Amino acid sequence: MTSAVSPVPGHDGHGDDSHPGRRPTGGYVACVRGAMSMAMHSADARHTRRLHPMPIRIMHWINAFAMIVMITSGWGIYDDDVIIRGFFFPEWARLGGWAAPSLLYHFAGMWLLAVNGLCYLIYGAVTGRFRDRLLPIRVSELVETVRDTLHLRISHEDLTTYNAVQKALYIVVIVAGVSQVVTGLAIWKPVQFSGLVSLLGGFQTARVLHFAGMAVIVGFLLVHVLLSLLVPRTLWAMLTGGPRLDRSRTP
Amino acid sequence: MRVAVGSRWIIVGVVLLACGGPAQAQSMLPGGMPPPPGMSLPQSAAMRFPQPVQVSALLHRDVLQPVPSQRVLGTVKSIVRNGSGTVEAVVEYGGFLGFGARPIAVPIDAMVLLGQDMEIVAYSPKQLNHFPTFSAVGTMPVPSDTIIRVGLAKPSH
Amino acid sequence: MRSPFRPDDLPEKAVLDDHRPLIRGLERRGLLRGGLSLGALAILTGCDVRQPEAVQSALLSISRFNDGVQAWLFDPNKLAPTYPASRVLKPPKFNAYYNINQVRPVNGATWRLELAGLIADRRPWTVEEIDALPQTTEIIKHICVEGWSYIGEWSGVRLSTFLRRVGADTRAKYVAFHTADDYPSSIDMASALHPQTILAVRYAGQTIADPFGYPLRLRMSVKLGYKNPKWITAIEVTNTYPGGYWESRGFSWFAGI
Repeated sequence: MTSAVSPVPGHDGHGDDSHPGRRPTGGYVACVRGAMSMAMHSADARHTRRLHPMPIRIMHWINAFAMIVMITSGWGIYDDDVIIRGFFFPEWARLGGWAAPSLLYHFAGMWLLAVNGLCYLIYGAVTGRFRDRLLPIRVSELVETVRDTLHLRISHEDLTTYNAVQKALYIVVIVAGVSQVVTGLAIWKPVQFSGLVSLLGGFQTARVLHFAGMAVIVGFLLVHVLLSLLVPRTLWAMLTGGPRLDRSRTP
Repeated sequence: MRVAVGSRWIIVGVVLLACGGPAQAQSMLPGGMPPPPGMSLPQSAAMRFPQPVQVSALLHRDVLQPVPSQRVLGTVKSIVRNGSGTVEAVVEYGGFLGFGARPIAVPIDAMVLLGQDMEIVAYSPKQLNHFPTFSAVGTMPVPSDTIIRVGLAKPSH
Repeated sequence: MRSPFRPDDLPEKAVLDDHRPLIRGLERRGLLRGGLSLGALAILTGCDVRQPEAVQSALLSISRFNDGVQAWLFDPNKLAPTYPASRVLKPPKFNAYYNINQVRPVNGATWRLELAGLIADRRPWTVEEIDALPQTTEIIKHICVEGWSYIGEWSGVRLSTFLRRVGADTRAKYVAFHTADDYPSSIDMASALHPQTILAVRYAGQTIADPFGYPLRLRMSVKLGYKNPKWITAIEVTNTYPGGYWESRGFSWFAGI
């Protein structure tokens, strides 16, 4: 399967200066600058890019850890006053034996999630990774891929191209992650951010939205982990970088 | 919030933890506090600082089990006075998603106010399952603007 | 004979070793009767004894950092939303660190509000004197750290008015409260001076009832429920961090909403 993405000038691994508009300029997080130079350097050294550059791999695994902390400590907070009556997370599933430590973990983990998440979003936008990996999505492609997956045709020969279902899932989880930060801020500071709370439909509604976002992310995790175990090369790729991309491809 | 004072309550708590079994579904110190053995319902209700509440404000409230999962047992359908003059709440009890519920009469002294809801604290769901289906014969509805007194409890953890 | 108080499931020896000083403290107070399960130990000591000390202390440091962030986020001029009187919950929701039958009502006739610390006029106040102060009414949302909320109506003198009236040093850092139910609490001066912060004597137009803090409770629109002590017996203005009941058990001190 060949790439459907046309080559985009500027990031072909040679540090090409012919398109200065594509060069990152100042005013963004230091981590991205470091990540960029790391990506450039390794690209220069080998004249090729890997599917998952080192910055992506680092941010992915930090994010996995932070998300587990947020979800399981969140379950501990939820149990203190359930939103769905009758639905209660068992003690072994919660991070923190009761509400106080669960809150401590949650308000510690939020910094890791937010900073790492922000770095990832900036990196993805600035390097063009989001544009190339996740867009465009065609509905016909989506339907076909869902059908294939249900028939267990999931061989996924070319790891370097995301099929339509993958693209949709990754976009959904990124949006859900951002939504969790927004709804989280609303329920953390319902007076200081009362405008935001009004927009979301009130304090109790914001709580429900925060819970729903968690459910979406947990759903994604189950599918994501299951598929990566069914196609172990994908897991290996996120540990070691995966296949090299064509020279004409962008990161 | 947890209880952390009074050695009497610590011993009670340890005993409850040691008991385990089906009671494990209940919290260690349920907000409901079933009445101590040998105490009458009105006596136990009097210990819960009963507060004035208008009957109309009780209708349609969720009735919860006093456990951390806050399982919904039913909803308040009406408030009546039975043949002996005791005030009872007619609770649309049990069932699933609106099917199979039946009305039962629960003495108001067996219940508490919990914010915008109520809890049944003197009877377990097992006991409530054996309550007879409510029949209005011999009962009088309490007018909705009547103020009655109902005890309180803290949230269950 | 095996003690009936001894639970089947004792904590691992490693956990007990790790928390020996804590357990010795409990033993000194004669509170242990034949062993504790992990659940009871966690509740009694208020800390999650399955986590090693280093993790606990890191989490508490981050919590203190968060308190600083919260103080920076706090806008002293921002008012919390208010609501129509028709939405007020009557009676309000009860909560405490003990059960309802352990509420100890205060005798209004003999009660005095004591004043201490950086206050010029430290004469005590009676119920009548407090009730006679100019009152303001707030219909605001009470939000509990547990997650539930309700709309309530409280009336009483503004704390800022009261503090200025008694010559309190409003440049001090903390206002601390002592209560009849052994529930120490304290807040930052900026929140104490917030226009919606009152010393409440009435709920929904009636004198506050016994379970809800008679004769005097704090009511703020800008902090979580547990920061609003009931049955206040003393107010102290100080620059020494006073802490609080739930803060000693791991909850945030600033607890701003």
